[in-house]
Amino acid sequence: MNRIFSLATVVTLAAGSLGAQAQPVAAGAGATLIKNATVLTVTKGTLKNADVLIQNGKIAQVGANIAAPAGATVIDATGKYLMPGIIDPHTHMMSDAINEGSLSVTSMVRIQDILNPTAVNIYRALAGGVTSINILHGSANTIGGQNATVKLKWGESVATMMFPGAPPGIKFALGENVTRKNQNQIIVVGQPTPPRRYPISRMGQEQVLQDAFTRARDYKATLDDYKARVAKGEKNLVAPRRDLELEPLVEVMEGKRLVHAHGYRSDEMLMLLNVAEEFGFKIQTLQHGLEGYKIASEIAKHGAGLSSFADSWSYKIEAYDAIPYNVAILMRRGVNTTINSDSDERVRRLNIDAAKLVRYGGLTEDEALATITINGAQQLGVADKVGSIEVGKDADLGLWNNHPLSVYAAVDKTFIEGKVFFDRQQDLVMRDQKAKERAELEKAEASASTRRGVQPVLPQEER
Amino acid sequence: MIAPFRRMLVGLAAGLCPVPSLTAQLATPRSVPATYAITNARLVPVSSPAIEKGTIVVRDGLIAAIGANVAIPGDARVIDGSGLTVYPGLIDAFGALGVPAASGQPAGGGGRGGGAAAAGGPAATSARGANSNYPVGLQPEVSVVELLRADDDAFSGPTSVGITTALSGTGNGIFQGQSAIINLAGTDANAMVVKAPVAQHIGFTPLRTGGYPNSLMGVFAALRQQFLDAQHYRDVKAAYERNPRGMTRPERDPSLEALLPALARTQPVVMIASTQREIERALDLAKEFGLRAIIAGGSEAPAVAARLKAENVPVLLSLNFPRRAASASADADPEPLRVLRERAEAPKVAAKLAQAGVKFAFQSGGLSTWTDVTGNAQKAIENGLAADVALRAFTLQSAEILGVSDRLGSLEVGKIANLAVTRGDLLDRGRVTQLFIDGRPVAVRLPTVGANAGAPGLTGTWTVTVSLDGSDYATTWSLRQEGTRLLGSIQGSLGPIEIQNGSIGADNELRFSATITLKEGTEEATFIGTLDGNAVRGRLAIVGHTPGTFAGTRPQRAGAPGGGPPAGNTPRTPPGAR
Repeated sequence: MNRIFSLATVVTLAAGSLGAQAQPVAAGAGATLIKNATVLTVTKGTLKNADVLIQNGKIAQVGANIAAPAGATVIDATGKYLMPGIIDPHTHMMSDAINEGSLSVTSMVRIQDILNPTAVNIYRALAGGVTSINILHGSANTIGGQNATVKLKWGESVATMMFPGAPPGIKFALGENVTRKNQNQIIVVGQPTPPRRYPISRMGQEQVLQDAFTRARDYKATLDDYKARVAKGEKNLVAPRRDLELEPLVEVMEGKRLVHAHGYRSDEMLMLLNVAEEFGFKIQTLQHGLEGYKIASEIAKHGAGLSSFADSWSYKIEAYDAIPYNVAILMRRGVNTTINSDSDERVRRLNIDAAKLVRYGGLTEDEALATITINGAQQLGVADKVGSIEVGKDADLGLWNNHPLSVYAAVDKTFIEGKVFFDRQQDLVMRDQKAKERAELEKAEASASTRRGVQPVLPQEER
Repeated sequence: MIAPFRRMLVGLAAGLCPVPSLTAQLATPRSVPATYAITNARLVPVSSPAIEKGTIVVRDGLIAAIGANVAIPGDARVIDGSGLTVYPGLIDAFGALGVPAASGQPAGGGGRGGGAAAAGGPAATSARGANSNYPVGLQPEVSVVELLRADDDAFSGPTSVGITTALSGTGNGIFQGQSAIINLAGTDANAMVVKAPVAQHIGFTPLRTGGYPNSLMGVFAALRQQFLDAQHYRDVKAAYERNPRGMTRPERDPSLEALLPALARTQPVVMIASTQREIERALDLAKEFGLRAIIAGGSEAPAVAARLKAENVPVLLSLNFPRRAASASADADPEPLRVLRERAEAPKVAAKLAQAGVKFAFQSGGLSTWTDVTGNAQKAIENGLAADVALRAFTLQSAEILGVSDRLGSLEVGKIANLAVTRGDLLDRGRVTQLFIDGRPVAVRLPTVGANAGAPGLTGTWTVTVSLDGSDYATTWSLRQEGTRLLGSIQGSLGPIEIQNGSIGADNELRFSATITLKEGTEEATFIGTLDGNAVRGRLAIVGHTPGTFAGTRPQRAGAPGGGPPAGNTPRTPPGAR
């Protein structure tokens, strides 16, 4: 127990310095050449003894015997595996809040506003080869907040971590969480008990969606009318009130904002697809969707993707019909399918979750890897930039010491746009640095002047 | 006439009880002319170099003359200032002095309270906009002058260390309303007011009522929508004023109306933000709406120094430095390195801001032990801040940032006669012997060290058992209370994780959220409970789980010298804990 404790502490410590002090180690001012790796391109097969040249943050060349440009950093990757950076399509990492659960529709809230670029889980995810994540609002209400697609540039600011050009999205949620059945009524002495928030059933969730999009349609009409009158040259018009709740829903109807919808049961997912079709928009992804296999053809027909757990069968009432073959069945029916973590802990080993799909459902290795790379990139609308090892794409890569679908695999280095953001050797060095810094701080504090102010409280023996 | 008064003041200077006639003097209405001359004293005007031996004349509440060779008016009561130093009274650049602690309100926004809250007790008044369309906590029209109470008990702490003036805000809610600068003396709340309104105040703590917004991201959305609505309100109103015929009359909205000065940049907006990301978020909001931002808190401001300087945003720097709380239990995780760094860094922040060219003023930050307020400013000096810059940050710079340097902040003819007379250096262990506020002597009570320190609130290390889904989890909570704000982390079975959106209400009700780690993954839990001395208990809510409970205690804090971790006697671990 103690051993586990101290090990965990050391990992935390080491993480500190990459972010707070040392800037991530730049892998060569100009270029990096990774030599002699087994390159898992995901989209173009596996290349043995291959080289990958990174220039200006992009993958410049992939092939055999690439010559290193002058000044390039050369990494000998003999016996190692290079794969695209892992993409987690569903996480709540870095968030200083998860749910704005007060209302049924909170499309006005933005995850981007409350990101914590110093969250240590970023570093831990990098250590698992993850480079991009989709940070979603929680599932407390039918229409939740706006998501943030982020590259895990540990040590940098939120502004530079936001994935450039990623289309905006929004979280919807269906089912049990939204009904708040298990939410305790918060009773504060001396204050009136608030009524339960509408809706408390799946029927109500459908109505909330229809109501919200009806209002959004009206709002869009108001905006369009104003624009038309301005275009006609009418003077002294006051622009309509901006409505931050309805603006994102108008964007959804205009196809400019991607819907990521939480749900487990097939009936609720079908309901959502119908409502979306009624209002003329598309659901980008169904999140969780553990009963997706029951309606695989309908999902494929709508054109939605689905992001599932590799397991978590029966972990809650809506997951009783979940099966391990969900992802494989959906994929065979033509649905873009991914594995997500929805967890700051599982995000570190999405490679193992992908490996389970080879065992349950018989996916090929490339198909399994696609569920944590290129498929996620497609679901987030960034497949032109990340998700596979192809010339011209961002150099977001993980260098592994073993095949990433093996339980023995660990990440040596994680690159984002050619920069090293996790380095196992560097981590070991930093652990010593952290230990030293701690010792110095503790020593300085113990001998600090206490002439003024309150004496620090000293520990006392327990009675 | 002069001699007996001198005796009285000498008595006061020696720390004796004021004689009855002085009490009568203090009760004299402000309008009665009074002239004083302090002679042979060292004068520190702040706005100009110190005068080693000079005279300052105070008349009718204002500074009438200052210099090495000043004629003493015939009607002046002369005070021999030999061996004494005269400073401008210190300004606490942000607090809630004079504002009674309101009950039944959403708490929030950043650790105000301080002496007033501790000494004032629950107030009958609550900050509520009369005809507002918005819930309490989102009412920018609330003005602190409506709540002010003259409160000698609450003022004795700050005045004892030389603070004569303070910026007071309600310290409650998201839009916290409009603050005032007050002088800390008087029996009449209105007479205390130096300037009002001074600024709009924004805190980023969610409403505690459960209504929207109940999360940090909701706070930003609500702020953004209300500013947008105020802009729209402004435009519609202007259109109506241009040509009311044929246009429906826009409905009056006092809350939106109150935001117009902030949007027009005629009123600054004080935003409570301490960490780097809190400051960056506040600056982003200010940029989005063209606000004149002032950051209050600022413990990580050096990390944002370049931007603060470029955007000309001053900082009201809190002197409420983090302190090591009670030691953790024997098997607790060691304190995170970040926490150690925070404590080591706090006294260095002011010097770093000065070096980076960021304008800053000192504020008490909710510290209830007033000797620590000046003591921590001295610690900043010991950590590299020039002593004159420190004094300036407590006087003239404060007045400049708050827009009252034309009347306060330095010893200059015509300015308000707020003086701190000390034996020794004001910040470096000097003793305030006399105080003038609005030109009248104010009784100085000797600092009561730690008078309010007996009530640590939630600050400290707690051993808490969390029961959820039939399992018990042993956890250690390291909490720090700053006014109504609650910070800290959970260690042990559910963590380690920082708590978020933490706050504590006047009724000792605590509330925070945390992303805890359970077997099946991470979940956001909302903790709500009550503090009772050294015990906490309450409930936690997680979407998709049946509600859980928690209960815990804080090991007694009475300090036994010797240090080191406690030997033996590990805390009882509840059955079923991992």
